[in-house]
Amino acid sequence: MIRKKGQEEMVGFALIMIIVAVILVIFLSFFLNRSNEEFVESYEVESFIQSMLQYTTDCRDNLEYLSIQKLIIDCQDKKICLDERDTCEVLNFTLNKVIDESWKIDEDRPIKGYKLNIVVDEAIVLNIQEGNITKNSKGATQFLSRSGIDYEIFFSAYY
Amino acid sequence: MNLQIVSYGKKGQLKIQQMAFMLMAVTLFFVMVGMFLLVLMFSQLRESASLLEEKNALLLVTKLANSPEFSCGEAFGSNRINCVDADKVMMLKGNMEEYSGFWGVAKIEIRKIYPDNENVLCDGGNYDNCGVIEILSKNVNMLPPSSNYISLCRKDSYEDEIYDKCELALLMVSSEDKT
Repeated sequence: MIRKKGQEEMVGFALIMIIVAVILVIFLSFFLNRSNEEFVESYEVESFIQSMLQYTTDCRDNLEYLSIQKLIIDCQDKKICLDERDTCEVLNFTLNKVIDESWKIDEDRPIKGYKLNIVVDEAIVLNIQEGNITKNSKGATQFLSRSGIDYEIFFSAYY
Repeated sequence: MNLQIVSYGKKGQLKIQQMAFMLMAVTLFFVMVGMFLLVLMFSQLRESASLLEEKNALLLVTKLANSPEFSCGEAFGSNRINCVDADKVMMLKGNMEEYSGFWGVAKIEIRKIYPDNENVLCDGGNYDNCGVIEILSKNVNMLPPSSNYISLCRKDSYEDEIYDKCELALLMVSSEDKT
């Protein structure tokens, strides 16, 4: 009788330990997942996108040299520059150069890669990606709207 | 005085031992949970501290970029965010002795990113084709610089026609190290 009671207590104790262990494992996995994969909304990237959009390209229309922001809109409208270059080609070339100089990827540098997406009415029209896509990133999105069309410029730097 | 030696039964001793082990296990459990929560709280604290630090540094630079002495205002069309007027900055650079204590910082520098003109210092004659505009530089110990992306705009000309030219640059600000 005494032995049976002792056995019951031991089983109870073991059950408590198992429940505690399971709760700890759940907590731990949740915590480790959080620290491994992290996306941070960044003011630095936000400033970068805003400044980049104002950059004056060498593509000219009848009035002026176009900024990247205007070039994005003209590319969507399938316009060409005054020197008959395709606006989308100039946009792609200029964005590649600007981002490459701004976010240099190197083994010795904290930035391991980057990604830029230009989304027009929920469809990706331009995607620039370089380096490694790691689990830690900082990014921002800039929204534009012209003539009822929504433009979304998303940039993310991976480190 | 009579001393009595009380002899507890073996079963009682076992019960006390069992209770002690149980108490230790419960205490250990709460200590572990407490430690876990502390780690979680501190990690969040560190994350928000670094974000706040980044935000403060960027706010200082953004405040400077959008101050009347630097900002483009409406010189290049509508009001632009993070836009610095290069013509204004060059004028400011020439009269910096009157402004040296105005922003409470030790160094203000603008470094062009694209197009990259390396480390060519800008002056009145070459500022359309140079890399670094050193606006203020005090001869003191400085903290590491805070920087933020800006659009550096100026009036340029091509075939007698004046147009707005904006380039991508970094505005860098260093404070004095008073330690």
